[in-house]
Amino acid sequence: MQTLHIHEELVNKQTAGELTAICPFGAISYENGKLDINAGCKMCKLCVKKGPQGVITLEEEKAPGIDKSLWNGVTVFAEYEQGRIHPVVFELIGKAKELAAVNKHPVYAVILGSELNEAAEELLHYGVDEVFVYDRTELADFRIGPYANALEDFVKQVHPSAVLVGATNLGRSLAPKVAARFRTGLTADCTVLQMKGNTDLVQIRPAFGGNIMAQIVTPNSRPQFCTVRYKIFSAPARQEQAAGKVTRMQLPDYAVDTDTEVLRVIEKPKEIDISEAEVIVAVGRGVKSPKDMEMIEELSELLGAHMACTRPLIEAGWFDAKHQIGLSGRTVKPKLIITLGISGSVQFVAGMKGSDCIIAVNQDPNASIFDVAHYGLVGDLYEIIPKLTEQLKGGQGR
Amino acid sequence: MNYHKISREDILALKQIAEEKNLLTREQIGEDYSHDELGGITSYPDVLIRAGSTEEVSAVMKYAYDHNIPVVVRGSGTGLVGAAVALYGGIMLETTQMNRILELDEENLTVTVEPGVLLMELAQFAQDHDFLYPPDPGEKSATIGGNISTNAGGMRAVKYGVTRDYVRALTVVLPTGEIVELGGKIVKNSSGYSLKDLMIGSEGTLGIITKAVLKLVPLPQKSISLLIPYPSMEMAIEAVPEIIRSKSAPTAIEFMERETILFAEEYLGKKFPDTQSDAYLLLTFDGSSLSQVEAEYDRTAKLCLSQGALDVLLVDTDERKDSVWSARSAFLEAIKASTTEMDECDVVVPRNHVAEFIKYTHQLAREIDIRIPSFGHAGDGNLHVYICRDDLSLEVWQEKLTLAFEKMYERANELGGAVSGEHGIGYAKQAFLEQQVGEAQIRLMQGIKQVFDPKGLLNPGKVVCGAAALIR
Amino acid sequence: MKILVCIKQVPGTSNVEVDEKTGVLKRDGVESKMNPFDLYAIEQALCLREEYGGKVDVITMGPPQAKSVLLEAVYMGADNGGLISDRKFAGADVVATSYTLSQGIRKMGEYDLILCGKQTTDGDTAQVGPETAEFLGMDHMANVQRILSVQDHAVTVEANMDRYLQQVKIPLPCLLTIEKDANTPRLPSYRRKMAADESCLQIFSIRDFADQDEKNYGLAGSPTQVERIFPPQKNTSKEIFEGDPDLLTTTFVRILGEKKFI
Repeated sequence: MQTLHIHEELVNKQTAGELTAICPFGAISYENGKLDINAGCKMCKLCVKKGPQGVITLEEEKAPGIDKSLWNGVTVFAEYEQGRIHPVVFELIGKAKELAAVNKHPVYAVILGSELNEAAEELLHYGVDEVFVYDRTELADFRIGPYANALEDFVKQVHPSAVLVGATNLGRSLAPKVAARFRTGLTADCTVLQMKGNTDLVQIRPAFGGNIMAQIVTPNSRPQFCTVRYKIFSAPARQEQAAGKVTRMQLPDYAVDTDTEVLRVIEKPKEIDISEAEVIVAVGRGVKSPKDMEMIEELSELLGAHMACTRPLIEAGWFDAKHQIGLSGRTVKPKLIITLGISGSVQFVAGMKGSDCIIAVNQDPNASIFDVAHYGLVGDLYEIIPKLTEQLKGGQGR
Repeated sequence: MNYHKISREDILALKQIAEEKNLLTREQIGEDYSHDELGGITSYPDVLIRAGSTEEVSAVMKYAYDHNIPVVVRGSGTGLVGAAVALYGGIMLETTQMNRILELDEENLTVTVEPGVLLMELAQFAQDHDFLYPPDPGEKSATIGGNISTNAGGMRAVKYGVTRDYVRALTVVLPTGEIVELGGKIVKNSSGYSLKDLMIGSEGTLGIITKAVLKLVPLPQKSISLLIPYPSMEMAIEAVPEIIRSKSAPTAIEFMERETILFAEEYLGKKFPDTQSDAYLLLTFDGSSLSQVEAEYDRTAKLCLSQGALDVLLVDTDERKDSVWSARSAFLEAIKASTTEMDECDVVVPRNHVAEFIKYTHQLAREIDIRIPSFGHAGDGNLHVYICRDDLSLEVWQEKLTLAFEKMYERANELGGAVSGEHGIGYAKQAFLEQQVGEAQIRLMQGIKQVFDPKGLLNPGKVVCGAAALIR
Repeated sequence: MKILVCIKQVPGTSNVEVDEKTGVLKRDGVESKMNPFDLYAIEQALCLREEYGGKVDVITMGPPQAKSVLLEAVYMGADNGGLISDRKFAGADVVATSYTLSQGIRKMGEYDLILCGKQTTDGDTAQVGPETAEFLGMDHMANVQRILSVQDHAVTVEANMDRYLQQVKIPLPCLLTIEKDANTPRLPSYRRKMAADESCLQIFSIRDFADQDEKNYGLAGSPTQVERIFPPQKNTSKEIFEGDPDLLTTTFVRILGEKKFI
């Protein structure tokens, strides 16, 4: 355990001034000749490293260590929702295999739900050594109490070293509940995971809206929980042969007893606001006639994208005004936006330039859309889109 | 008018001046170039040239002068009165490629720009260098050239004035092709007639602006808006003269009606933070520190409460500003989306008559049974009034529209107002201008036009150039 | 109905950068504001009070300056505020923060419902709400979009579960995290600002808590450790492809594949 110690004898107006200035969190105050560190402190230790020598020092206090050898295996929480294994699970299994190999740990999966025989079997095709199955009708729908109790039971029975959970809304609800129960570390939305030889999991995640990255470890607690977003890691190929074993787990009745009731599960309405969409296909004047929209709709469907457009198409009456991107329309910030036949007027670009990945297709190499695009394809969308759709349908999609 | 019709020879000759890729002929010209934002009048140019430099503009203009070809200058085409439409065909000179910011002079507090720089680009550039370019019209993708040509006003006029107050110098190509420099990086100037000021607001009828030196002010570090709900539109508007009399200095005083806010909600698919009241004032205060701004708005807030405001709501963070101002910025589009067709007027009246005028539009709406939503700059007397067609037949619509316009301008005239606060006269408002200023002033204006442009080549049929007869 | 909303003061802008050489966090000024996500929770709480009566309190953990976000909530309509502030809380991670909050909440009083924003703009973890619920020994529901009804000592909510919506009836007391854009938060009222004074605020330190063991708070109570912070790699890719449509299509598919969109 580390604490910051202030050496009062070295505190004076000048050193205090330097220290208050250096703290990025404004957590150091100097009043009436007394230097104080308040609750704003994030333990970034800049005052120790960059401040005037020796005024604030770091004091280590040895905490009683835990025996890490008692905690073995990298576990993937196999989220099972409404009859399917969430695809992030396979990506996590791929990463878990890499991490487990460092210390020759086994790879586990734990799955919660009802009627799970097929799903458990399916996991064995991806290189999991053992699948732990909590199969009860009370677990059919996600309810936080029983789910947390089941995962708690798994941790107590199996003692895994690390637990990887998909950063879905379910995972982001369940993982913290269980991590808190064990008073252990949980790192949310990791983008990089590495394993140390001492079984410490190195977790890297963005903070401050992605403006900084933080590298985090859980040196003295087990298990180490982390969540990872969908589409960060790659899923391994499915093996023809199943390998590994399925272990069915029992739970006492009281563990699944809850007054929380799931009343309805509703498919999300497709029509969402384009400003919330993750993938957008946007069209502009390069599309010649309304009937050409069919081919573009087909592409959107294959990519799970939402359709949007520029102002002229609204004025032409092809779209509802809610689909307009731009200064006088919506501002979007999707993970991917594909612009087709859009020249890139300032009007339009102002509404989409914050997108993570911009792919532009336009015939005119001088079109200003290519100034903001990450990938620009100079070509005729009428030639490219049908070919693209064909390729995507040809089994390359998932 | 007897203009020369553009021939193949002309196009070949013009290709000697402009680069091939920047010259589009009739069949290559997109539909957008046939109208402006409101689309009241439609007509195509014969040739579209995307100008690249002052010299190029001068050469094109000289050719046009020698061959008697009309020339219309166009920026982003965001105008609302048809000023950038080539009524007589000919050459359209588009300035959007002349979009460089040439110089920031921190000693004279000026920025020098080409006419195609967009307002939003200039605003951002100024802000990045800790300056403010105060004119702030709602249409941020308009060009500076267009802003100068209409003497655009915007949302900060109450405190900072309008575009005219920020133009120090202009480089102008005359209809003969001659290049002149008007004004300079000077604060004072008593040297003869102010030709620079004649150019400002001339809507492309006197000369072509190819460079502008604009004044900047230090950037205020903090700004806070107040959204003030009132039980009725009358009470809201009547509070405005009181606010101005109290000598507080808001940058903006905007008024908005509940109905317009609901349109914006529908259009944006986003709820406004408060829609319980019939009418709102939106005030913005800026200054160098939070405490300064707080002290300033405090007085006004107390005053409003004592004058019948239901509350004073604080718009103090980016999220809150966004939720309020995004609706404000969408009003025009939202009203447009709420009806089949509309026409607008941006009449301006003395500030103490705003309430009276708005009440009059309400009365008029009832009288001739047509919908007339409005919003605008209560603080400077500039109103944006929209007349909506809804499901009227074309005939009835045109009849009612003409009547509504006539009545409104008549009333504005009685109150000492003017036809346009910031959108201009263009094609659409010429008759109303004549009614307002009278024969003597029109004669002076036409005389000025004659001196600048003896052949009547620049933007023919606009402002005072005779198209008035067309609409009568 | 007694409702408590957990709020947080965050930097006024998320435009922070890390100096690549020194590892120092560069921040534009020191201005702070209320976590924007919390505004939705406050608005939800105030709507519930309008419908069912009762009171809405707010609580935050932070330095003494964090009082300003409590007052802001009061100007929006909250009744009372509690500030948990102690140097002993410095360096808290998610677990320590949640535990501290749970201790503070117990000190504030008994509540039927505890609301949080979905996440904060600085930490971005979305985990403090659920962990706090665990330390309070209650169930929670995250990403709540709508509260459908409150009756029979239970609340019925509609929560966003990515692909579907779940309508759940949860017994009170419980904790809910409110989804972004679940509503449009009301603006702070100048009238309320004039009427308010700081007597509606309470300040708690570790000495006010039931558990005063310092090992459970701040850095000592944090199982995770930040080893280093560094700037992210920016997506600076800029590639323009020209040529044969077949080639362009192949390129297109490759990019989509690399970026994991297919």
